[in-house]
Amino acid sequence: MDDRILTIMRDIFEDEAIDTTCSQGNCEKWDSLHHLNLICELEDEFDVEFEPEEIAEMTTFAKVKEMLVSKC
Amino acid sequence: MKYFIFRNQTIEPFFGDSNVGYSGYGDISVIPDANSYVWFYQPSITPDAKVVSQEVGNYYDKLQMVLQNISQDACMIVFTLDILFNVPVTGDDFDVQSAICDFNAKIFDLAQQDKRIRLVDFSEFTSRYSVDQLVNWKFYFTTQAVLNPKLAKEFKVWWAHKQEELALKRKKCLVLDLDNVLWGGILGEEGVAGIKIGGDYPGNAFTLWQQALLQMKNSGVILTVCSKNNEADVLEAWEKNPFMVLRKEHISAWRINWQDKATNIKELADELNIGLDSMVFVDDNPTERELIRQVLPMVEVPEFSGKPYDLMPLFRKLVDRYFRIYSITDEDKVKTEQYRANVNRKAAQAAFGNMEDYLRSLEMKLAIMPVNDFNCTRIAQMTQKTNQFNLTTHRYTENDIKQMTNEGCPIYAISVSDRFGDNGITGEIILRPKGKDRMIIDTFLLSCRILGKGIEFAFLDTILNLIADKGVKMVEACYIKTAKNGQVADFFDRSGFALTVVTDTIKNYLLELAQPREIKDYFRISFK
Repeated sequence: MDDRILTIMRDIFEDEAIDTTCSQGNCEKWDSLHHLNLICELEDEFDVEFEPEEIAEMTTFAKVKEMLVSKC
Repeated sequence: MKYFIFRNQTIEPFFGDSNVGYSGYGDISVIPDANSYVWFYQPSITPDAKVVSQEVGNYYDKLQMVLQNISQDACMIVFTLDILFNVPVTGDDFDVQSAICDFNAKIFDLAQQDKRIRLVDFSEFTSRYSVDQLVNWKFYFTTQAVLNPKLAKEFKVWWAHKQEELALKRKKCLVLDLDNVLWGGILGEEGVAGIKIGGDYPGNAFTLWQQALLQMKNSGVILTVCSKNNEADVLEAWEKNPFMVLRKEHISAWRINWQDKATNIKELADELNIGLDSMVFVDDNPTERELIRQVLPMVEVPEFSGKPYDLMPLFRKLVDRYFRIYSITDEDKVKTEQYRANVNRKAAQAAFGNMEDYLRSLEMKLAIMPVNDFNCTRIAQMTQKTNQFNLTTHRYTENDIKQMTNEGCPIYAISVSDRFGDNGITGEIILRPKGKDRMIIDTFLLSCRILGKGIEFAFLDTILNLIADKGVKMVEACYIKTAKNGQVADFFDRSGFALTVVTDTIKNYLLELAQPREIKDYFRISFK
């Protein structure tokens, strides 16, 4: 699962160096619009739907993964 | 920066962020220098139709202000407006629709006066989706993206294609071979009467292709001929063969001789004073095509199988690829004429006190034809594009249509003309057999421009009589509600069908075909 998430993140934030420490705080490109793209991609890739409250919380790789684990 | 985009909502997922700049929402106070601008406004989501329609009215003023402040060499790609979300609380509330039509009509006009403007018909994209697909409320409330960001991938593909179309250099001149291109067979061997044009296949394929080319010529494309033949034979064929559509007077220049075609095409370019790079060469002979590709690489040479039934796909390719940049102004020209014809119809209407007399005076002709290779595209296209007079709004591709035909579903198209003009194929019905003597109306739709004359009833009744003759006793039908097809909610009721089931979104009907249905005698109905 880590790899699938990282592939999407690297693609959307256009940075091959992104790893599991990535967060909105340390990733320059992770603004609200890229966040939207990220959520769309994750929903499609993992065939899940996030609630708006969940979307707002998914601000680090770890939290993204945690949310996905709880749904998949 | 490739584009600077004026917008009034979140559209970054659609246009991306590389090489693109965005205005603030609804902001025109900052106009950076750019070669190309995009105008992408869509009506905002507000339940108050008055507010939305006023807002839409302002878009045009804003656009004009921007146009006054950008360079004369810049290009402005304007997206037409579409209704993404509109729920009029009362059924007769068309404020938003009319504001949108008004805006679109104004930008069509503007595009003809201002060369910097390129129009993109946004409904071409949105019409692929249902209302629920177009707006994703979760994302709308969290990010103000009215247009569902999940459609971004498909939008990007469509937009890339549109950009290509916008950038294409329009060609000016078509160079045509004769034998097995304009007609079937070899003129030198089979003679003026022996070549295949008109009549059954393959002659009918060449007839339609020639008619299509004539349309192309009428829209400004130069037709020329380059053929290895005896000139005298060809002149005789043009003059004497009664089925010939394209004749000497339609061909601007020709080289009919035994010289090599590269030299001939160069001579044609000189004679017409146009560049070789504005010419497209059509020949059924692969060797000739190869020669031109090698010797005159600036001439476009599309592939052609040489099969007569592939001529119309070839025609479509020619139009799409070479002879249409962004078609709206050209289409508009045609539409203007149709509109003019509509104006004449309206004037005629005023002169008759009685509606029935007026309808009679129109001399309406309804031609009903089963699905075939030539109308299949149009039939599929109408299911994709027709929103208002569409009972079920099932969207079908050409393949779907072919498959249904193979499964034994009767499919008919209707072509409508009257003394003011020919509207072409503007309606269709798709039936599905159910058991031995029952049929279901899967699809029934008509283009809005022919409505208001009772054609819808004449068409339906004609088809019902036709299937009754074939032994069908019961017909099932249904109305599936969408945001746009409210006007036909009671169509089947008015046609005498009995309502069986009603839910919020669907009305089911049944009709017993007891006696023939009466059709107004002022319709001239023919079967093709």
